[in-house]
Amino acid sequence: MNGKEIYKIWAPESAKWTEWVRPVPFIRIKEDFKNTRINEFEIRNINYFNEIQKNVAIIVDLPGYDSIKEGIALVKYGFRPIPVYNGTFEQKDSVATTDNTVIEEALVFGAVELKKLQINENALPAFLIDTNRMNRYKMSVSVFDNSWDLYHQDIPSAEYFLKNKINKIIIRSNIKIQEDLNRIFYKFQSKGIQIYFTNGFEEPKKVLLKKPKEKEE
Amino acid sequence: MRLVSIPKDKYNDYRLDLMFDCYKWDPQFLDNNTIAKHALVLTEKEAEELKVLTEKIDKETRLAEEFLNNNLHLTKPLALPKKIHNELKKMKNYNSDSNIRLMRYDFHPTIENKWAVSEVNSDVPGGFAEASLMPKLAIDVIGNKNLSFINFSDILVNAISKKVVQNGTIMMVHCTCFSDDRQVMQFLGDRLQEKGFDIIYGAADHLNFKEKQAYSILDGNEKKVDGIIRFTPLEWLKDIKPKKWDGYFDTITPSCNHPVAIFAQTKRFPLIWEKLEANGIDLSTWKELLPETKEVKKINISDEYIYKPACGRVGEKISIKEACIDDEYEKIIKDVKKHPKQYLVQKKFKSKPLISEEGEEFHVCLGSYSVDGAAAGFYARISKTPRIDSNAADIPVLIERS
Repeated sequence: MNGKEIYKIWAPESAKWTEWVRPVPFIRIKEDFKNTRINEFEIRNINYFNEIQKNVAIIVDLPGYDSIKEGIALVKYGFRPIPVYNGTFEQKDSVATTDNTVIEEALVFGAVELKKLQINENALPAFLIDTNRMNRYKMSVSVFDNSWDLYHQDIPSAEYFLKNKINKIIIRSNIKIQEDLNRIFYKFQSKGIQIYFTNGFEEPKKVLLKKPKEKEE
Repeated sequence: MRLVSIPKDKYNDYRLDLMFDCYKWDPQFLDNNTIAKHALVLTEKEAEELKVLTEKIDKETRLAEEFLNNNLHLTKPLALPKKIHNELKKMKNYNSDSNIRLMRYDFHPTIENKWAVSEVNSDVPGGFAEASLMPKLAIDVIGNKNLSFINFSDILVNAISKKVVQNGTIMMVHCTCFSDDRQVMQFLGDRLQEKGFDIIYGAADHLNFKEKQAYSILDGNEKKVDGIIRFTPLEWLKDIKPKKWDGYFDTITPSCNHPVAIFAQTKRFPLIWEKLEANGIDLSTWKELLPETKEVKKINISDEYIYKPACGRVGEKISIKEACIDDEYEKIIKDVKKHPKQYLVQKKFKSKPLISEEGEEFHVCLGSYSVDGAAAGFYARISKTPRIDSNAADIPVLIERS
């Protein structure tokens, strides 16, 4: 399968929310794609839900391909994984801040798993992002910075979520809510969407996001 | 000029092919699909008229910027950011024959059946693949043999090939964290690589300048650079620390674009036209096409005028009330009050919408490129509102043979 075919598995035309599937990591997946680094792709259990969800969207902010595995695990609870990875690949022979290629590989593995599953066309969205996107420490100026942020334009607007009866957004992360998400969802909060957080072990808890610094808005 | 629908049964594949074969990596912006369901078809007469206007206005721009470069004392009303203003004197060695000058003029059809130009993207115009591959795909999908297009990338690549040493190294300077910048650079980089150039994708601070010659310091790619294609805007460049970006201003390495582009990039450019005309620079085409532009002197302007930011891009922060969402209009006014020199007042033109075959109204912004003074093809966007901003959809521009 090439990148386009893999993309079509993740973003079937008739399914809701798939317009937001970002093509960037799919572009470089070629016919002769060979996995080099993923040794296992076992879909884990979800501990923070015990029933099918309603009126909620989830942002899965986990490192590397864990985000893809968790997105697929969420299918059981009424979600469709929507990959919105947006990091580019580094210049040949250079050292990069962020490893975005592992996402490409995991999307291929994920597509194989997705094909086995039945997902309702109106399933809730689980937006997948990589926690490592914010790895932007540069030992020297000569490093290629391919870190990335999620921006408000990369996902639907608060109005669109509300129009589609989604009034609750859960951020699932192993760490705190990162700056880019705070910036986006602070505005959602002020428009009446409730923001929840889970570390993956505990039930999602409601959080009140603080206003980002003026410069960051 | 008319809108022709992409056949409904072919649209989904068309969108997918644009993403995977035509470098369109940002097909969605918020709730909006950024790939139009139409093509914009010009008559040969309209295309010729735009070509003539583009070459006339471009000649005026290039003469004006060269004059200003030699007469920096006239540039004060441009209110350029201080950090940039301080470097302008370094550009004395600028030679238009050694650099590639790329610009895009944004034309709009008006209700008076005329053209209005809203701005020139003088510094870092984008839309390269949309002006090169998108029209070809649209013609294939529509299947009308009378349609043709101007391939922008062929013209730009030829111009670069004339000025950068054969098989030389070119750095595609962009913000490496943004995939929408990379898609523009990757498309052009791939075309240049096909011509034999060695391409490096890097950020603005991956260039060092020694004796005015550019060198790549990007890890694993340390070497002399023979050409610079810059997609990082000058007003972002100036914030890079430590300050190494000043080398862009006096480099002898052929650049596209050289920082001389800043004079026309600021939307305050019209505020020094009087001085330019007094010095014999003809700006008649500009004056015919650009709506009346004034300094911000008072905040309560009539509905016939709008505020525009001097360093605005893709229609952002323009105070077209009916196109602003949420508290955007109030925020713009607040910012104008705070920083009047960073804005200007411009008379609103009345955009004439096109009606699609399905009866929908769309406003058009038709970008016309120039490369080293010659017209070089089109890039267009359409929107349901008169303000063409990031929510607009990219549309291929085709020319119908008569």
